[in-house]
Amino acid sequence: MLARYSVRELVHRPLRTILALLGVAVATAMLVDMLMLAGGIQRSFAELLSARGYELRISPKGTLPFDTEATIPNFASLMDTLAATNGVAGVGPVLASAVILAHGDGAAPSDLSVRAIALGIDPTEQGLFRLIDGEDPVENEVLLDQPTAEAFGVALGDMVEMRVAGGLDVAGRSAQMRVSGIGEFLYAARGDVPIAVPLEELQLLTGKLDRVSFAMIRVAEDAEAEAVRTELAGAARVEVVTLAGIVAQANERLSYFRQLALILGSVSLIVTSLLVGTIMAVSVSERLGTIAALRAIGISRRSIVGSLTAESLILCALAGAAGLGLGVIVAEYLETILSDFPGLPLAVEFFVLRPESLATAYVLLLAVGSVAGLVPAWRATQLEVATLLHAEEP
Amino acid sequence: MTDTVGSVNLEADSDRTIVTASDVVREYRMSGVPVRALRGVSLSVAEREFIAVMGPSGSGKSTLLHLLGGVDVATSGRVVFLGQDFGRMSVEARARLRLRKVGLVFQRFHLLPMLTALENVELPIAALGVRRAERRDRAASLLARVGLDDRLGHRPGELSGGQRQRVAIARALANEPAVLLADEPTGELDRATSHGVLELFQRLNSEGTTIVVATHDPELAAGASRHVEVVDGRIGS
Repeated sequence: MLARYSVRELVHRPLRTILALLGVAVATAMLVDMLMLAGGIQRSFAELLSARGYELRISPKGTLPFDTEATIPNFASLMDTLAATNGVAGVGPVLASAVILAHGDGAAPSDLSVRAIALGIDPTEQGLFRLIDGEDPVENEVLLDQPTAEAFGVALGDMVEMRVAGGLDVAGRSAQMRVSGIGEFLYAARGDVPIAVPLEELQLLTGKLDRVSFAMIRVAEDAEAEAVRTELAGAARVEVVTLAGIVAQANERLSYFRQLALILGSVSLIVTSLLVGTIMAVSVSERLGTIAALRAIGISRRSIVGSLTAESLILCALAGAAGLGLGVIVAEYLETILSDFPGLPLAVEFFVLRPESLATAYVLLLAVGSVAGLVPAWRATQLEVATLLHAEEP
Repeated sequence: MTDTVGSVNLEADSDRTIVTASDVVREYRMSGVPVRALRGVSLSVAEREFIAVMGPSGSGKSTLLHLLGGVDVATSGRVVFLGQDFGRMSVEARARLRLRKVGLVFQRFHLLPMLTALENVELPIAALGVRRAERRDRAASLLARVGLDDRLGHRPGELSGGQRQRVAIARALANEPAVLLADEPTGELDRATSHGVLELFQRLNSEGTTIVVATHDPELAAGASRHVEVVDGRIGS
């Protein structure tokens, strides 16, 4: 019955209730976003790395894949070592090089030339792109991503030109390539123009014979990635890292996002507790006479505290539900802004919607809301009933 | 009948004693200064009595009522209610006893404004864990008893002062208390409405309800069967 009273009290003061609901909803939205951000990028990055099933990466000593332009020499010899290593089920070598991709001779308005990142790959072992249309590139062929194909106005079978962008000895070398397919490049950042070509072709064009930038290693099902990594690290002068290692290093670089998320999340919880606490303190203060009378007629402290706490819980439950939705909408907007973050693959999401994030935010909110309601209610029931009645009666 | 200073139950003409206050002192601290609201009061209330506690403002009438009902505890002396010493009971134990055995009526009614008259009367019955249908019946019958059977669904804000006080009286009677303690029940009411409350009290008393009322109202006091005068924290003649 007192719970019913609590609901009616909220309905009876619509402006105060609506303002409180809005305040708590906004704070909840912020909390949701921070929880999505805190764990989202880490999870998203890990999922992206493991999407194609290559558990190890080999790169030049002291570097990470895509980190520098350094290359691994004598790759053929390294391949022999890899082939002899227990647990290696496949190797996907990659040579990355800056190139100029051009279409037409520049005479027509639609002719374009852009700086692109050419990825020399072995089409039978690669984890860099998903084929959307057409076929993997073989000799004198190139695979583009959808935005580039659209920008160039080219279709499967059309010809584009690839020119080496740098290097005194190789600058200006070019090759006419047929577009063999359209793919989705997993690690491309915003603004990147990634293209895939056969490894040998890029090695020839750039003069980086028998060199690769990095290699992706597929570990056999019955082998442990860490064990394979240890064995390879001892056998070759290269950097061998597991996905967990890459994720850990990436997390280290992005740790300020998590710190920011935790701080702002905590702030939103504090704001919520202060907001609910203030509202409940005012509400309780207005009803001291009623509370005293209820205590005087014998209603237990527990019932009164329960009723007032229910009021703050109802507030938080309603505002929290709205706040969850608002948080998701705001996260989508923020995602579009942060996706421009330099150097991060587009596929990496900062805000990952996870049921546990929403549940955690909701539970935290209800916990904070109930404590914030409990404190003024409990304090009010600790006051002396007779003193309160004396104060209330003329 | 009139009690004299410091005496106990001098001429109570009834059978069972409901509550006895013996040499009760109640001291408060106001801004750090001790203030004695009651200075050694003794009073006994017997079953079926209708007592009017009178006295000027600040004389200690309300304090005495609070002590008799276990809302407050004495600084010294004893208040024994149906054999139980309030001074030896915990706050919650006194609250439970009040819920079952004491009906309280306040000058400002103190009804819950968001609940209907029926729900206000149901409240103390619900606190005893009585099922909804039963407590609704009981509350409705109590409201009928105070002449408000046509106002069950009205909220306090939709009722007149007299009607609100009747709802408060019905609420006080909800758990069939041993005594009804009313603190200035007509203080906020006009003369005609006050008269109606007096008639209600007299009827309830004739039906067996023990009533102690603290009042300034001479008409209400005149309707009581015994008068107790409180002056400067003491019972006077």
